[in-house]
Order: sequence, then structure tokens, then C-alpha cells
Amino acid sequence: MHVPDGYLSPATCAALYAGAAPFWFVALRRLERTLHTRLVPRVSLFAAFSFVVMMFNIPLPGGTTGHAVGMALAAIVLGPAGAILAISTALIIQAFFFGDGGITAIGANCFNMAIVGSLVAFVVYRVLAGRAPLDSPRRVVAAGLAGYVAINAAALVTAIEFGLQPLLFLDASGAPLYCPYPLSVAVPAMMIGHLTIAGIAELVLTGGVVAFLQRTDPALLAATAGRGVMAIAGNSAAASGGLRPLWITLGVLLVLTPLGLLAGGAAWGEWQASDFSDAASRQAIAAASLGQPPPATPPRGLERFSSTWTAPLPDYAPPFLRSAPVGYALSAMFGAGLVILAITGIAALLRVRQRAGTADDTVSL
Amino acid sequence: MTLFEIESLTYRFNRITALDGLSMTIPAGTRIGLLGANGSGKSTLLRILDGLYFAESGVVRFLGDALTEARFGDNEFAYGFRRRVGMLFQNPDAQLFNATVFDEVAFGPLQLRWSAADVRARVMDTLERLRLAHLEHRVPQRLSGGEKKRVALASVLVMDPEVLLLDEPTDALDPRSQSQLIDLLMGWADGSKSVITATHHLGILGDIADRCFVLDRGRLVADRTPADILQDEDLLDRTNLIHVHRHRHDEGHVHSHPHLHGL
Amino acid sequence: MSGNVRPRGGFAERTVNGLLEAMERAMLAETNAAGTGWLQRLDPRVKLAGLLSLVTAVAMSHRAEVIAALFGVGIAIAIASRLPLSTLLSGVSLATVAFSSALALPAIFLTPGRTVGTVPVVGWTITAQGLTTAGYLVLRVAATTTLGFLLVFSTRWAHVLKALRAFRVPVVFVVILGMTYRYILLLLEAARDMFDARRSRTVGPLAGRERRRLVTQGAGVLLAKSLHLSGEVFLAMQARGFRGEVYLLDDFVMARTDWIALASCAGVALAAVWAGR
Repeated sequence: MHVPDGYLSPATCAALYAGAAPFWFVALRRLERTLHTRLVPRVSLFAAFSFVVMMFNIPLPGGTTGHAVGMALAAIVLGPAGAILAISTALIIQAFFFGDGGITAIGANCFNMAIVGSLVAFVVYRVLAGRAPLDSPRRVVAAGLAGYVAINAAALVTAIEFGLQPLLFLDASGAPLYCPYPLSVAVPAMMIGHLTIAGIAELVLTGGVVAFLQRTDPALLAATAGRGVMAIAGNSAAASGGLRPLWITLGVLLVLTPLGLLAGGAAWGEWQASDFSDAASRQAIAAASLGQPPPATPPRGLERFSSTWTAPLPDYAPPFLRSAPVGYALSAMFGAGLVILAITGIAALLRVRQRAGTADDTVSL
Repeated sequence: MTLFEIESLTYRFNRITALDGLSMTIPAGTRIGLLGANGSGKSTLLRILDGLYFAESGVVRFLGDALTEARFGDNEFAYGFRRRVGMLFQNPDAQLFNATVFDEVAFGPLQLRWSAADVRARVMDTLERLRLAHLEHRVPQRLSGGEKKRVALASVLVMDPEVLLLDEPTDALDPRSQSQLIDLLMGWADGSKSVITATHHLGILGDIADRCFVLDRGRLVADRTPADILQDEDLLDRTNLIHVHRHRHDEGHVHSHPHLHGL
Repeated sequence: MSGNVRPRGGFAERTVNGLLEAMERAMLAETNAAGTGWLQRLDPRVKLAGLLSLVTAVAMSHRAEVIAALFGVGIAIAIASRLPLSTLLSGVSLATVAFSSALALPAIFLTPGRTVGTVPVVGWTITAQGLTTAGYLVLRVAATTTLGFLLVFSTRWAHVLKALRAFRVPVVFVVILGMTYRYILLLLEAARDMFDARRSRTVGPLAGRERRRLVTQGAGVLLAKSLHLSGEVFLAMQARGFRGEVYLLDDFVMARTDWIALASCAGVALAAVWAGR
């Protein structure tokens, strides 16, 4: 997940530094206003915590372990502004001190994980948790899902950054100067790992810690819960009733996303047959078609970039878009939009069902 | 001269009452012991005396000035107060928040905006006086418990305060570091300084106090000399400062002997 | 202690080992920074600016030979500064081989271009462009990792942070970075103790669910501890006159050797960018 040096072109790195800067500025201003003189110790301690928690091996179902970033946890406890600064601080120290993530890529890593991750996590958490009481199990699910969606959003943004490199930066011989993988490889390669291992690790950590804080120190969850949220469930039946659809959503999301990728792989033949005049997409096709018969035992390095996963997304691209990069980017955004729309819709339905007339919950960034 | 004047001071954390209508007067230039078990309110009182928490009801005056949040809004008063009153926190890890020992000791003087040359000179002088000069560049994490306490003390003494508030100064120190720390402190408090020490450690009381206040559940229950307090087993037992083991012997009468912490 | 025998490399062991490694690394860096080599004597601002300019040159270079040359410059500086070459190289090779080679390898087959060979049995084609691009990745990672190590192993972290101020990084951010570093060490130790304590009390393997609980509880305890500590730190800062704005001491003075070093680094970086167009 941590982008090392050498994978992104200096131009991309500079653009992402520039993209991150206004968020840092606004976050700092906001925190100076809300935390006043408490800003420095609060952000520092939380950044130190994030750093340490990124080193935890989280046991996952199935016997593997994964690492989490903790961006959703940060967003839930500190709010998005605090999370942006704390996670960025942890990432900067990791890059300088541990060589984990490149120095030129600090802007990119902060943009992807600290900024996109924290903001997505905060929105998903607020929307899904609604006005549930602080000790409601619904908050645990909302937190877990916020972590899952946030790390995947961050991974998708990273994958798009990777995938654009071979389209834009080639040397004289046509060899890619930085990340060599086009979107058709980068997106599935990143997403498979994150939809499964990293996403679940984030889900387990965020949900688990929120559940723990509910029992031990629920006041820590109060800051981002929104106004008028009760500390203790007044109507536990409503809370548990509201829980089931959320679990179902999680299940559907988990099942459908890899299925979607498979479906994309199945549609690959059609995609290859169709005539693209654009050089970039020809290259993408060439890259994808190299893995003709899937080998029985791929070499280790190939496991992550298995060439059998080919371009799920261009299948969804409207036919009038002849340019593959635009198509990928659009369909990626479209897909992310669909997920957010679905979540918002379900949350809205839940709200209507549970507490008619209190649907004025505002999500403030 | 009266240093601190406390009148019916009450302070609560959520629903827990830490200080309950406390009144006392602390004269300047004395060494005061604040004795009490855990939860007696002595730490809270120290923080109120240091202008970190503010009285909910009642008044606390420092040399006649009421300590209120509004009063600390005045820069001149705030800097003057921080310069004159220093506090040693119980947990040195909370007090040592800088990346190196030098930066730690320099933090206070820098916030008071002394000149760079002054800061450097004062810091090195203080480190040498506390025999810490060899640790100048060290990370606080790598220090022993006794060294951490001494660095924390240096970070306060560097501003040469008139009043020193100590929260459990000998907590978690081995006996040797304890006596070193007490010698340092008492060498510094040469009679013109005021030292207020909160502790539940009876063993150091005679060394650090001329006068002793005993707190119990947020109230003042005694104000006497340390020697007097140490002899009052009944008071110490009631305020949970000692625990009396009772053994029932064959003869059928109750035999008791107190255990004094740290003696 | 308790005679629990658990498979080596369990999640808790691995976490504890990772935490210990991080702490050892911090200690090693502090020790080396006190050395008397060429880099250690330079002004931290020069080291930061100089090494960052070399890192940027590595990123901007479009020729593998130039990147390899910059890698060589990094190694030469390490030797001149009497840094532990074995530690440096093992760290660099770990980052390069274990992480980047795995990522770069498929590029040999996946990149379209002039075919130079075929892998027998599976029939994948190797392209010249694929080899070049894999070379770029591995060389860039090796070179930048080396240069990054040079900075960290020759400079006290507190000085790296203060040097950031020369780049107009706001004081508040520099203070946050410094405080974060200080408390990372504290929390690493706390986390290690926590996992060790749990381990000494558990006998036999835990079910997956319990293991997850153990880790998330650990993270929860650590989180509550950090936030509590942040309140205490805030009071301790206030007690010493902190009013919201932080003042720091700028204690660096540029000597002639510093200017020479800065000029050499900038010169090498510019030459590399020019040669690597």
C-alpha cells in the first residue's frame, strides 16, 4: 500500500503534494480552531498510536494476518481533520525513518491514505451509524465497513496513479520509466489484495477497537457521533433490528466485488475482439493477452499481478469513450459512486423505517 | 506572607467529587507535605494550584490574585505565573514530551521567550547542576526512571521558580534514586523557596516537609507537623495511609501493628 | 515462565518482533548519528537538502546508468561516513529484493515491446522494454533507499526535524513530528509489554476469534492510553508556559565544509538530471 520511490513519476508526485497541501492547510486551520492549544499533543499522540498500530499483525479469518492503516479509527475518534494530520504524520515518519514508503512519494501516500482514506471513512461511518446510540452494535458495523471501504478507496486511487504511469511516462525505447503496469493490471492487482486481506484487516481493527471503546470509554466515540446522539441505547430492539440489513450489505459487497472482477475477466474475449484504434489501449490489450493459458503454478511475484485478471472495468465503459484511460478512470469513479450511493440509500431506508421524521442528519466535513 | 489561600474549594470530574469544600492557607517560604491516599484529591489540588484546572466553586488566590481561567487569558500574568510556579508531574513520560533532553529542558525558557543565548546558557547550567550534562542529546525513552525524574526536575528548575509543586516525586524510584532526588530538591529549596509535595509515601515526609496537611476524600482532616502526623496511627489508618493487620492470637485478644509504607 | 509452547511466527510473536526491530533501529540510528564520519559532521539542513536533491535526481533520471551511478554515490558517501555498510546493504537489499523485485518481475513479461526471449514451458515472452522497466524500478528503489538510510543513520531524528524548518515547514508541524517520534518509542514499548504479558498468560493456541479480540483489545487499550497521555502532556506543556504557539531554538550554524557539501550534492544532482534526460 505504501508507494515506494520509483513507482510514480516526479510530475505525479508533485501533483499529489500539491493536491495534499490544501487539505493539510485546512485540517490544520480547523484543528487550531476546535482544539486550540490541545492540537499539538492530541495529534502527536494519535500519530504515534497510528504508527504503532500499523505494525500490528491482525489475525484474519482463514489463518492469514494483515496490517491495517487505522485511518477509519482515526476519523472516528479524531474527526476527519485530526485523522488527516495524524495519519500524515505517521506516514512521514515511516518514510523518513523506516524507508516504508518513498520520500518523493510522501505526498502521494498522504493523499491516498491520510486524505482520501480518512474522508471516505468519515462519510461512510457517519452515514451508516446515523443517530445510533454510542453503545449500539450498529456503530461497530458502521466502523468496520468504514474501514473496509476507506482502505479500498485509498487502494483504488493508488492503483489509478500507478496505472497512469505507463501511459504517460516512457523512455526513448518505449519502456515505462516508472510503474510499468497499465490500469488493466494495476487496478485488479491492487484491488484483489485490498478487497480481501487488507480490507478485512482494516475492518477487523476498526470494528474491534470501536466495540472495545464502547465497553471501556464510550466518551472517545462522542466527538464524531453527531449532535443529539444518546450515550446509551434507548431502544435496543430498534438498534439490533437496524443491524441486520447492514450485515447483509457487507456480505453482498464482499461477495459481489470479486464476482464483478470475475465477470470482467469473462468479458475479456469480447473486449479483445473489438477494435480500438488508440495506442494506449492496444498496449493494455497486449499486456493483458500475454497470460494466454493460465499457468498452473505462477511464480511468486506473479501471484499479485496475475495476468489472468484482466481489465474488469473497460467492459462498463460507454462505447463512445475510445480512450482506455478515461474509460477506466470513469468506470472506477462510477463504481465507487455506486457503492456510496448504495450505502446512502440503505442508510436512508433504515432511517425512514426506524425513526420517521428525524432524517435531518447532517454530515459535516 | 500568604502564598496560596484556598476558600471552600470544590472540584468535580463528571460525577466524582475530587475536592469538597476545601479551605487552607499556605504560607510562603515553607515546605508543605500534602498527605493522602489515592483518590484523596491531592493531585487535583496541585493542578489547581498550578493554574491547570480551575475552581468550580470557591476561590484560590496566589499572592492575592484569584486563579481563574480569565486571569490566565492575560499574557503578562500567565507568563509571570508560569515562571514563578513550577510543577513536577507524577508521570515523567507525560512531562518529557520533547525528542531530546536538551530540547526538554529548553522548552520552558523558550516559551517564556528568553533570548537564544540565555536559553542555551541556562539549560547547560541546569543540566550540569543536576549532573545530567552527559545526557544532553539523549532521547527520553532511553533514560532510567531516576534519570527521567531528574530531567523532568531540570525542565522545571531551569526557570528558577519560587514555588515548586511536586506530585509523588519519589513514585516508582528505587531507594537510592529516591534519596538522591530528595537531596537535590532540598539543596535547591534553601529557605527562600516554597515546596509543596503531594505524596502517600510516609517515609519521605520528615525530609520534605515542615508542615503537613492530610486530605481524605477531598477534605482537609489534619494540619500538623510531620512528626505529629506520623505518630497518629489512628489518623493514618482512617485515611488509608497505613493498613493495620489484625491477627487473632490463641489468647483471644486482638493484636495490631501498623505497616508504614516505605519505612 | 508459563510453559506455553506456541508455533514460532505466530501473529503476536511477529508483532512483538516487529516492534522490537523498530526500537532497535531507532537506537542504532541514534548511536551512528554520534559518530565522527563525513556526513555526521555536516549541518543537518545540508544533509537534508543534499540528500533530497539526490533522491529527486534519481526520480527524474531517464537513464538506468545514471540511476546506477547515483546509487554508487550513495554507497561512497556511506563508506566515507563510516556507516555500518552491512546494515545499510542488508536493509537496502531487503527493500529492493523482497519488495520491489517481486513487483518488478512481472513487468519483464507484461510490458509490450521487442521480444528478446521466451520462458520455456509456459511460453511467456520477455521483452527488451520489460527488462529495462524492471531495471528502472529495482535501481530506483535501491538508490533512494540508500540515500534515505544515509540521512537517518547519520543524523539525530530531532535534528532532521529541526532541519525541516529550513524548508519553511510550519513550526507546529515540526513540533508534532518531534513529539510523535518521542511517543512512538513509548507506545512501542507499551505495546511490546502488553503482548508479552498476554502471551505469558495464554496457554495453547487461541481460536481465530479470540486472537482477533486480543489484538483489537490491545489496540483499544493503546488508543485509550495515548489519548489519556495526550491530556497529561497538554497540562505539562501548559505548566511550562505553552500558550498555543511553540518556540524552538535554531541551533545550527553553517560552516565552510557545509557549503561545499551542499554545492557538491546539488552539482551531482544537477549533472545527473542533465545526463539522465
